[in-house]
Amino acid sequence: MRRAVELQFGREGVRAVMAATFFGEVVRAPCRAGTEDEEEEEEEGRRETPEDGEVRQQLARKREVRLLRRQAKTTLEVSLLEKYPCSKFIIAIGNNAVAFLSSFIMNSGVWEEVGCAKLWNEWCRTVDTTHLSPTEAFCVFYHLKSNPSVVLCQCSCYVAEDQQYQWLEKVFGSCPRKNMQVTILTCRHVTDYKTSESTSSLHTPFLKALKTQNAREPPCCSLLEQPNIVPGLPAAVLSYCQVWKISAILYLCYTDVMKLDLITAEAFKPVLSSRSLKGLVKNIPQSTEILKKLMTTNEIQSNIYT
Amino acid sequence: MASQYDRAITVFSPDGHLFQVEYAQEAVKKGSTVVGIRGTDIVVLGVEKKSVAKLQDERIVRKICALDDHVCMAFAGLTADARVVISRARVECQSHKLTVEDPVTVEYITRFIATLKQKYTQSNGRRPFGISALIVGFDNDGISRLYQTDPSGTYHAWKANAIGRSAKTVREFLEKNYTEDAVANDSEAIKLAIRALLEVVQSGGKNIELAIIRRKQPLKMFSAKEIELQVNETGKKEEEAKKKKSKKTA
Repeated sequence: MRRAVELQFGREGVRAVMAATFFGEVVRAPCRAGTEDEEEEEEEGRRETPEDGEVRQQLARKREVRLLRRQAKTTLEVSLLEKYPCSKFIIAIGNNAVAFLSSFIMNSGVWEEVGCAKLWNEWCRTVDTTHLSPTEAFCVFYHLKSNPSVVLCQCSCYVAEDQQYQWLEKVFGSCPRKNMQVTILTCRHVTDYKTSESTSSLHTPFLKALKTQNAREPPCCSLLEQPNIVPGLPAAVLSYCQVWKISAILYLCYTDVMKLDLITAEAFKPVLSSRSLKGLVKNIPQSTEILKKLMTTNEIQSNIYT
Repeated sequence: MASQYDRAITVFSPDGHLFQVEYAQEAVKKGSTVVGIRGTDIVVLGVEKKSVAKLQDERIVRKICALDDHVCMAFAGLTADARVVISRARVECQSHKLTVEDPVTVEYITRFIATLKQKYTQSNGRRPFGISALIVGFDNDGISRLYQTDPSGTYHAWKANAIGRSAKTVREFLEKNYTEDAVANDSEAIKLAIRALLEVVQSGGKNIELAIIRRKQPLKMFSAKEIELQVNETGKKEEEAKKKKSKKTA
């Protein structure tokens, strides 16, 4: 009996480390040194039921990123930039960047919608797949009618980590053109900015830039210093461009107001002097007025401050 | 870094900042502009009306409130905090009258409000009030008063001041244009307040609310028509002044 126990214990000793907790109970702690027996046992535990598999497949389908031609309501068969090749691709991620592009770039020309990305995740639910309203989370692509090689993306929805690569593939394609200039605008909260200076000396909002090795144009502001990092979709796009040797530059606005705010949106103004955006803006004072209107319509609904 | 010292109100940073109090002052800047002017025989409070949503009842959104018959205040910042402070101040005014049989002096009620605000900067588990207030009125001695309080609990007497969004611009205007002669006359004091507000208010008189207190008289709120009249008169006067100037130079 004792030997059997020893043998069994011996086997278990290989399979798992028996750990004694503070209270004296013995807990099985997993161990990487596995045997065939161990794998079998684990597989048995892991083996999912057909329902689990179905649920997993349904979830994967639900989380799929789809690129649609909005007017036609059909899915794009190829990636967006394969269908609409461009020399300039401007992406605004986040509500302040979107508001800035809306007022300054989109109001200075005639832009035609070429597609929209539809996705679902726990933070971003675009319920109706056919009708989008301006106040909802959306991701829409436009190109300039007078110069279709300029493509613009307004993305005010959250793209989850597992969806970012799908988004990139659906937009850029698996073999993107190298001779385009990508400009990304986004915001982060100033509390994420790491610096040795006192944060009370920082004048928020302020712009920082990150660029790929192949970036052709100089940035309009200072580069983002270490050890600061950029997460999320902006980082995914920049990394993608770095891997595919595309010239790309990311302008990051650090602000203390993450909701739609006039001063934060206006902080992107220096970007208007960059080579990519220079020719696209016509009337800056008028654009500033449009931006102010956009902000006031949004502010009226809030009664917190009087 | 600020983020290490800005979570608790009761914690000083190494360089002596109370960040929560400073952040509360930022909340004040989110409120619409308020201007206060102390004249010889009149005190004027002018505010930029906050635009209301279509279905919202405009009358309920009031920035100027009477604390007693002879004192009133206007605030900028968090609406809910202001409601609490005003309520406490009104109770204190009546309590004082019942206890001492005299109405409060403007300085007394200002000190009360400032002390209340300061208490909240030194208590655990509480946050400062996110409002600044301009308190105006006449004391029994017949002298006009204008005080300003801020979230830190300090208060000062002013001849003219502005708080809220774009307060800096309005204050600069007042520094250039305020003279004792200008405010010796009641209507001139009102016009100065209107001109100061028009520096920052978009779409003119429609978005302005005005209130005055005269010696031994209760608070008077101007109606929309009266404000429009005043704005037009102010506009006419400025045009005449410009014409005179151009005549002189010509």
